[in-house]
Amino acid sequence: MVNIIGHRKFWLIIAGSLVVMSIVAVSLWGLKFGIDFTGGSLLELTFTNRPTTADLASDLANFGAEEVSIQPVGETGMLLRFKTVDETKHQELLKHLAEKFGEVEEKRFESIGPTIGKELRTKAIYSVVIVLICIILYIAWAFRKVSKPVASWKYGMIAVLALLHDVGIPIGLFAVLGHFYGVEVNSAFVAAILTILGYSVNDTIVVFDRTRENLIHAGGDYENFDKIVNESVNQTFARSINTTLTTLLALVAVFFWGGESVKYFALALIVGIGLGAYSSIFIASPALVLWEELTVRKRRR
Amino acid sequence: MNKIKRFFANAGKKIFKTPRAKIWWLIILILVVTVLAGFLDYPNYYDKGVNWLKKTTGIGLPEFYKLPFRLGLDLQGGTHLIYEADTSAIPAKDRDDALEGVRDVIERRVNAFGVAEPVVQTTKAGESWRVIVELAGVKDVSQAIKMIGETPLLEFKEQNPDTGTMQILTADQQKNLDDYNAAAKKTANEVLKKARAKGADFAALAKEYSTDEATKEVGGDLGFITKDGVYSDWYDDAAKLKVGGVSGLIETDENIGILKLTAVQDSKEVKANHLLICWSGAQSCTSNLSKEDARKKIDELKAQATKENFVDLVKANSSEPGASESGGDLGWFGKGMMVKPFEDATFAMKVGEISEVIETQFGYHLIYKTDERAVKEYRVSRILIDKKTSAEILPPAEEWIYTGLTGKQLTKAQVQFDPNTNEPQVGLEFNDEGKKLFGEITTRNVGKPVAIFLDGEAISIPRVNEPIKEGTAVISGNFTIPEAKLLAQRLNAGALPVPISLISQETIGAALGQESVAKSLMAGLIGFLAVVVFMILYYRLPGLLSALALAFYAVLVLALFKLIPVTLTLAGIAGFVLSVGMAVDANVLIFERLKEELRWGKPLGSATDEAFKRAWPSIRDGNLTTLISCLVLFWFSTSMIKGFALTLSVGVILSMFSALFITRSFLRLIAPWFQNKGTWLFGVRNKK
Repeated sequence: MVNIIGHRKFWLIIAGSLVVMSIVAVSLWGLKFGIDFTGGSLLELTFTNRPTTADLASDLANFGAEEVSIQPVGETGMLLRFKTVDETKHQELLKHLAEKFGEVEEKRFESIGPTIGKELRTKAIYSVVIVLICIILYIAWAFRKVSKPVASWKYGMIAVLALLHDVGIPIGLFAVLGHFYGVEVNSAFVAAILTILGYSVNDTIVVFDRTRENLIHAGGDYENFDKIVNESVNQTFARSINTTLTTLLALVAVFFWGGESVKYFALALIVGIGLGAYSSIFIASPALVLWEELTVRKRRR
Repeated sequence: MNKIKRFFANAGKKIFKTPRAKIWWLIILILVVTVLAGFLDYPNYYDKGVNWLKKTTGIGLPEFYKLPFRLGLDLQGGTHLIYEADTSAIPAKDRDDALEGVRDVIERRVNAFGVAEPVVQTTKAGESWRVIVELAGVKDVSQAIKMIGETPLLEFKEQNPDTGTMQILTADQQKNLDDYNAAAKKTANEVLKKARAKGADFAALAKEYSTDEATKEVGGDLGFITKDGVYSDWYDDAAKLKVGGVSGLIETDENIGILKLTAVQDSKEVKANHLLICWSGAQSCTSNLSKEDARKKIDELKAQATKENFVDLVKANSSEPGASESGGDLGWFGKGMMVKPFEDATFAMKVGEISEVIETQFGYHLIYKTDERAVKEYRVSRILIDKKTSAEILPPAEEWIYTGLTGKQLTKAQVQFDPNTNEPQVGLEFNDEGKKLFGEITTRNVGKPVAIFLDGEAISIPRVNEPIKEGTAVISGNFTIPEAKLLAQRLNAGALPVPISLISQETIGAALGQESVAKSLMAGLIGFLAVVVFMILYYRLPGLLSALALAFYAVLVLALFKLIPVTLTLAGIAGFVLSVGMAVDANVLIFERLKEELRWGKPLGSATDEAFKRAWPSIRDGNLTTLISCLVLFWFSTSMIKGFALTLSVGVILSMFSALFITRSFLRLIAPWFQNKGTWLFGVRNKK
């Protein structure tokens, strides 16, 4: 049997510091939002003779494109982002680039008006809120039965905390990636966060269910509360790890071989779902024991 | 083939003899469904088999039903366009209809472009009405956008009976207006205080505060103002001031003024009638007279003119427009208001005199001076503080209003020629709805004009002589024949009921799409294999079963994607791959429980049943929360994310089915075969 509860403070400190680092990263650098949230244009091109980023940048500035950012893709590609342009301007730009830099192939063009961006932003916020409410309702339902010695609502609170950890750290990670590598937070990222919320909550609930079951079997032997919890974690250990592992295997395949446009979507899912397993094993039950200890200590005083 | 035959033979023997018939039936059903699904996914093998059968035995079977995967734009290339329809000119109740009209027209256009399965949808986002156009596999996107954009906007409008009536501000607008004007008043009061202070520099204050750009640079100086001049509105206020005095606030609806009187001078005003005979070439002249003839005529009139008959002469002869009504009366005027020779002559004359012939750029004049009075002229400086009026906030009422008759109801347009002038025209034919509408419009507008608007401009405003019930109309707009032909062509291809503008576009090149398909297939295969290998290594025999079940699952899901059909996008395929990873979760739960049950020493058969019974609630709940997330994503998101939510939820639902039926049936089938062979195969470590 692995002694997880014994090192409870260690696990909680690791998780806590990661969450704190995420909060710092987000407040320091913020998130770099994609054009589907801010509005703007995105143009992916393949050049026969690719110009340097600097050449392209100065040329685009001369052309009159605003707020340009350029990112090389692969060997011959370039990803350009700039302020929303209309179709006429877009065609002019393509013609201009072909005249200036020789053959150029347009692989992708997106131009999203500011109204659409604003709508998507609102929608994203709504969907996160709605999913959170649904999940919290679900948690309340899952722990509706009264149990002893720990009140049901405490299980629920800890499950919610674990969820915040699961989505908080990916958000922090994307703040870092956004700052250093220009990785953007777009609607796919929001989808990833929602999927993490839906997927990760279950492991925690399963562990707690097992804990409550074992507490009932133990029949009032609450002196060994931490031992019972540790046993429960161990009983569900393989299950938690394996369900997560199979899902991660599939996601890693998408990350490495699924192509550029779903790469960071897969990364967000990998990190979030991986953390979901961590939180159900190393956060939820240790936190439960810690909370119980604190209340017991208070009661004794 | 042989293996399958033997399998079926075995199955047949046991079917009626063993109590396990039910399990067998279930497995056979699963196999049949999966094989059918497999053929649907990839019909080539079936077709090859059919061909082979035909060649060798001559039995002809039909080929398998072909249903392609529906690929999203990002996989096959194409464009996703969002247009916003400007429905502001249309009454709220007709907006749905108008938008449907836009949809129909764009659909017709797009169909003409030859795109396979174009999607044209309408949505309403908040207060704005949108049309979403998806063109999959289109080669030349810019051409397509151009074609949609070139769709003519055709509207029939009637005169607005309410033009000029006051419109009502919304509460917000009224508040803004009041706030703005209150601030203006406050500023005006401060300025007034400064202007009245001792030693105040009025000119400097005007430079700083006046909102009248024309005069602020000269310190607000308006020069001498007269009772009838440009600044006549300020005359009475100026007259009340002493030289050097500053007025109070003079407030009107448009602005607040502060005046300072700087000088007064005496002047006079005159009143006169005049008679004009102009010649061809003089300013604003429409007469054909030569200058000589004009001179001759005015000389004759001068000879006849007296105080008594002057007005009648003017009425009969003057070439001034409207003179037959006015009698050439100019009313009171001061200096600087008439052309120089005319002014000089009039001011020099005595009251009651008729002048000599005076020549100006307008022609020859005779002037009859009727009165004269002394007036004062005031030189004032002015500080003007601007106010806002409701008219500045609200646009004036439209002259032409929506009738409901638009390009939507058009069935045909063709080039015709006007029977009288032989000019080319475009003849329009309406459908039944249009016929009825046009009849109503022409009935209520008899004697009034009706305007035909093309792309927002009135190109033809015919007057309705009588109600037109046949449902035909004519656009005559000074066309050349090629112009008329082009217009008829464009109208025939569809005309919009309201203007639209492109607000968002996503275009993916076909090359990128193909790359993406190849990549995501690769990712799917690798993900699948990785999961299978893991399951077999970790769970051994049950792992092998779950791998088989997973393969069945994949085949079934793909068939479902074709049947529903689910539009596959990159994110959608990622969702599918993710669902493969999640689908085995159910198996993991069952197998872990199975191991526990086996460790507790239960026999394999009942341990299997118990494991399923115990694991089911967890499987159900676990998938439930994922489904909740998918549902929300599906409601709220963009088409890309919708693809992900849809494939993931289809996968999740089917994975529950797969765990319950496929894996369970397999396990129950094989359990008796391994009843007494130890538990190692089931992943349980033997304790001794």
